[in-house]
Amino acid sequence: MATDVSPLRQDRAHMPARPERAALPDAAATAAGRVRHVPIGVPDMAVLIRRHAPTLLLMPALLLLVGLFVVPVLRLVGLSFEGSSGAFDHYMRIVDRPVYLQVLQRTFLTSAATAVLCALIGYPVAYRLATGSNRTRLLLLALILIPFWTNLLVLCYGWLIVLNPQGALNALLLKLGLVSTPIPMSGNIVGVLVGMVQTMLPYAILPVAANMARIDERVLMAARSLGAPPLQVFLRAYLPMTLPGVIAGALLVFIMSIGFFVIPAILGGTRDIFIAQLIEMNINRIMNWGFAAALSTIVLVATLVLYAVGVRWFRLGTVWGQS
Amino acid sequence: MTNGVNTKTRVSRRHFLLGAAGAGVAAAGIGLPAIRPSRAQAGRVVYATWGGSWEAAIKKAWFAPFTKATGIEVVAVQDNTYGKFQSMVESGSTEWDVVETNPDFQYIGAERGLLEPLDFSIIDKSKIMSGDGFVTEYSVPQVLWSRLMAYNTKALNNKVPEDYKALFDLEGFPGKRAFYTNPNSGALEAALLADGVAPDKLYPLDIDRALDKWSEIRDHIIFYETNAQAQQYISDGQAALSMMPDGRALAAVKDGSPVAIQYNQSILTWSSMVVPKGAKNRENAMKFLAFALSPEGQAAIANEYTYGPVVPDAFKFISPERAKILSGGPQQQGKYIMANEKWWAENLEKASERLTEWRLM
Repeated sequence: MATDVSPLRQDRAHMPARPERAALPDAAATAAGRVRHVPIGVPDMAVLIRRHAPTLLLMPALLLLVGLFVVPVLRLVGLSFEGSSGAFDHYMRIVDRPVYLQVLQRTFLTSAATAVLCALIGYPVAYRLATGSNRTRLLLLALILIPFWTNLLVLCYGWLIVLNPQGALNALLLKLGLVSTPIPMSGNIVGVLVGMVQTMLPYAILPVAANMARIDERVLMAARSLGAPPLQVFLRAYLPMTLPGVIAGALLVFIMSIGFFVIPAILGGTRDIFIAQLIEMNINRIMNWGFAAALSTIVLVATLVLYAVGVRWFRLGTVWGQS
Repeated sequence: MTNGVNTKTRVSRRHFLLGAAGAGVAAAGIGLPAIRPSRAQAGRVVYATWGGSWEAAIKKAWFAPFTKATGIEVVAVQDNTYGKFQSMVESGSTEWDVVETNPDFQYIGAERGLLEPLDFSIIDKSKIMSGDGFVTEYSVPQVLWSRLMAYNTKALNNKVPEDYKALFDLEGFPGKRAFYTNPNSGALEAALLADGVAPDKLYPLDIDRALDKWSEIRDHIIFYETNAQAQQYISDGQAALSMMPDGRALAAVKDGSPVAIQYNQSILTWSSMVVPKGAKNRENAMKFLAFALSPEGQAAIANEYTYGPVVPDAFKFISPERAKILSGGPQQQGKYIMANEKWWAENLEKASERLTEWRLM
């Protein structure tokens, strides 16, 4: 579709102003008392409802969001300032003990690596998804979505079977004579990255594919007709046009990865501790909710900052379908 | 266009109605047994359990006979976590009447005012085995279990690790060692015992000394997050040795995996049962606890699941072969060390932090 105006907006644009109709009612209708006279300038409920219909339709969702999300989040943040000897108790501990910043750093670095790998692997897949034949697209979608719908624990244990030193992959490598001793691929950062990249790939592929599908073929034709060789067409026309989608997808992957819990716990090694694990431990095992709230707040703030950066400079909105 | 959409809507509505009718029939089917008389008058007990095969065992050993004897219905609910416990009591909507927990919670929960004092005029505590913290104002023990060393016989070429020194002897006993991500898996105790600390001088644990000992085998430690994972590691030989719960080790043996158990210096501990503050069926909860702690009740669960009875008299109703594998049974006499769960309740947070620091070093 060429125009991007929603049906709702079109309706409103073509709607005659209500007061005119009210001021000039049909004589017969007036006689029958079927038309209410509304003085000009005083809003009629019906007018108000009609004018704000889109907003009113949002209300149930908005109420749910406020009640079930905004309020609890604010309470969580509040809880993080309830220390035994001062409002910043928990935050002081996070700053004082290097371990928490180290875990945060590790969480963020691993998530960033996941985002980069997802973007690199996802780009060509997204291209095929956007431009391939119907059959290719269906096949690709199935390949992307079936793991996406598979339970995370099942995926993790599956990878454990494949990656562990006695696992399928090492057995194959040994048999082929490519290695002489098994390569440790689980219980370390390799395992974590394999698991995380696989889980997060759909989030990197789908927005990029959507972005690619919107690209005007004529721009590329113009580039070719002006004599640009394929590499130039890609580097100077296609890549710049698709890059916002790639970055948006990568940011989405990054933000979602920060909350990971199961994958580093199962596929990771001694050092692969994610902040979510410490939060869970403080909630369910140690029961220090204030401290868990402080850790959560830090993650929340970091996520919001990243999101703002994404929206402001990297068009993160394209992920949600904004152009 | 509009027409097409409408047709589609109508079809999907018909499907929806069909589905709803099906659901209605199903709901009626489920509802039927609830209408049965007699149970309702005696009331009920809501029992929060860890679930799984354990839940199946307590249903058979405790719930059914208890209901038969008293008419009180026992309802099992899962998803029992400390977090949920606290939010439930604090929000004044206690749905649980009896909760099974680790013993640290009998101290933490009491300190935070989350627990209801138990009525020992109904519960007979005189038969319960003696030991620090077994019975408190707010808790009774449920069953005995141990944290101990299990090993993969194939990985160790049938060499038997006699004590915890084997955990730190990489030449004599090559392979990975699996420890729990939670510090109270017995692995800190094991390190201190291997380092020459006398069993009666174990607590308060010298965490730093224990972790220094761990550092000797740092690259050979793998951590497990769940006990199921520990069972997997030790069964398939990914770990040659592991500090793990006896129940999981026994399950691995029962599966036919090449796993054996070393009972020397096993750390004996227990699980607790508590009543949350404001429990709606308090009286029934006390009756249930009394029932579960009778020698017969303890024998019933020990015969059903591989945990030991906390009431020694129960062994009268347990066969010698069965007794041999149970915690607190004859195979462990003179070998086990009692865990100091009060110390753990007070130090779990600090120990967890130190363990995380050690892991990142």
